[in-house]
Amino acid sequence: MTSPPHPGLRGIRASLRLSLLSFVADPQWLIPSSIAPVIFALASFEMFRGSGPTLVLYAVLGASTMSMWGQTLYGSGWATGQDRFLGTLEPTLVAPTPYIYVVAGRVIWNVVTGLVGGVLVLGVVLWAYGQPLPLTNGLVFLALFLVLMGSLAAVGLLFTALFVYTRFSGFIQNVGEFSFYIISGAMFPVILLPFWVSPFSLAFPATWAVDALRYVGIPGYQGLPFGLMGDLLGTLGTSLAYLAVALGVFRWVEHHLLEAGTASDY
Amino acid sequence: MLPRSSDVIEVTRLTRSFSSRKGFLFQEKVATDALRGVDLTVHSGELFGLLGPNGAGKTTLTKILSTLLLPTSGTARVLGHDVSREGSAIRPLIGLVLGGERGLYNRVSGRENLRYFADLYGLPSRDVAPRIREVLDLVGLTEAADRRVEEYSRGMKQKLHLARGLLHRPPLLFLDEPTIGLDPRSARELRKLVRTLSSEGVTIFLTTHYMFEAEELCHRIGILARGQMVACDTPSGLQQLVGGEGTVEIESREFEDSELSRLRSLPGVSRLLQEPLGTHLRVTLRVRPGDWEPSSLSGALAAHPDLFVRERRTTLEDAYLDLVEQETAS
Ligand SMILES: Nc1ncnc2c1ncn2[C@@H]1O[C@H](COP(=O)(O)OP(=O)(O)O)[C@@H](O)[C@H]1O
Ligand SMILES: [Mg+2]
Repeated sequence: MTSPPHPGLRGIRASLRLSLLSFVADPQWLIPSSIAPVIFALASFEMFRGSGPTLVLYAVLGASTMSMWGQTLYGSGWATGQDRFLGTLEPTLVAPTPYIYVVAGRVIWNVVTGLVGGVLVLGVVLWAYGQPLPLTNGLVFLALFLVLMGSLAAVGLLFTALFVYTRFSGFIQNVGEFSFYIISGAMFPVILLPFWVSPFSLAFPATWAVDALRYVGIPGYQGLPFGLMGDLLGTLGTSLAYLAVALGVFRWVEHHLLEAGTASDY
Repeated sequence: MLPRSSDVIEVTRLTRSFSSRKGFLFQEKVATDALRGVDLTVHSGELFGLLGPNGAGKTTLTKILSTLLLPTSGTARVLGHDVSREGSAIRPLIGLVLGGERGLYNRVSGRENLRYFADLYGLPSRDVAPRIREVLDLVGLTEAADRRVEEYSRGMKQKLHLARGLLHRPPLLFLDEPTIGLDPRSARELRKLVRTLSSEGVTIFLTTHYMFEAEELCHRIGILARGQMVACDTPSGLQQLVGGEGTVEIESREFEDSELSRLRSLPGVSRLLQEPLGTHLRVTLRVRPGDWEPSSLSGALAAHPDLFVRERRTTLEDAYLDLVEQETAS
């Protein structure tokens, strides 16, 4: 006999499962969120391609990150908007599992499906330029990639709280998407950005995680001046901070919904 | 006063107002008082009916009791817990069926909808599949269980809503207008199911705007009008409100004001109601049998052409309309 899973984990699993089933029933959200990253990646690849073969990795990594982030923001936001549209927000809120776990399941699902964009770029780059991927520390790289995904999920959770709060969140979504592309260093090295951007960059867990990945994957990589351990600590610290804030925000947002009576608006 | 332990719902001076915006460019804040001081007690095992016209505040009260909405003032306790502060203690113990076309994941099957909520309600993993089969069977959806919900009829969706509400075997069930929009046969099936659940000991709080439904199903009926509880009693107790009064209906194309005031002052007439009836108008009189003299009608309506007059028993429906009308008029 197995011990019953934590109610939160159970909620996350249920939400992942529903996301998968809804996706299979109507797989419409992967392509739009993958287009922008692919174009960005190919453009930056063109810009930097003279700098050596490691730029392939640079581009693929950047595109995957952007695609995962775009998918997280749009996919999770959209699914939460759907809860309003379908009228399922109320029955979900009235169930004992806190809504944050439902959203967490969606966010994880979308981070994972966002990988499609990265795979697409990898395919295009390999096909068009015929360059092999110069990956050295495969396992460490993989582990760090999971860390990156986790850090994106933490930020996605916080952003998605806005969709629970109101049905008018499109603006925030756009700002969140494009500012992230630039300031996270997913596309351009943070070093190239104006100096005042860097505090914002460092507040994004993915900035640290992507930097760590480049450390490991690109020989002679010059990134943030904190070293690999510094990057890892930075990722962990900022991710936990996002999680903590998200927990508080969710509690507040749910209270607001019950107070204003807007959970049935659509 | 200490609450009795058998009181499942205890509501005291409950109010709820909404502020919403009206207009587009020049927005104006509009406040609606959906509940205006409601007192209510529902006992364990009871099938309680909350009856009221559209906009009376039934859904608002249902949502407050089921922790989906916070009260503006007053208190409400459900199964011993305060709805404002102890929502998380209440949620596992109640089932809520808001019903309607919405509220379900349309792209997946009925069974998958139930499976999702079984997880959110924390059903023991081993129980999930058998319990889903059980509730599907109970509401009669076994055949359609693996079809997508978007293919379901209105009645099937309503059944699925109910199945979801029952998954975790809650001792208290809220049903907000469960038969609205259903064809007569589905509505009858649903009422039968509600009776079965009640006989199994589930406490049920049901809202409806049909008096016959409340009368047929409920042990006690609360009548809500414009956010206030205007009566609360057993069906036979409510019948007492209209007492031994009789009802006289008079229909015609039109009535003069002078005729209406003459009717109102006839001996034995306690109340006069008017309602449009297609191209005609119906005037209903509530009359005290001892004082009422049917022949006095001809005096009051002398020379009125084409009259249709009928005397009948006063029903519970009449009592309901009287109460709701009174409230609207004041
Ligand atoms: N979220 C809301 N915002 C503004 N007004 C509301 C809201 N919900 C209900 N109301 C108003 O409160 C009153 C009672 O509504 P409701 O409880 O839905 O009545 P019923 O269920 O009896 O038809 C109505 O006047 C309705 O317009
Ligand atoms: Mg209603």
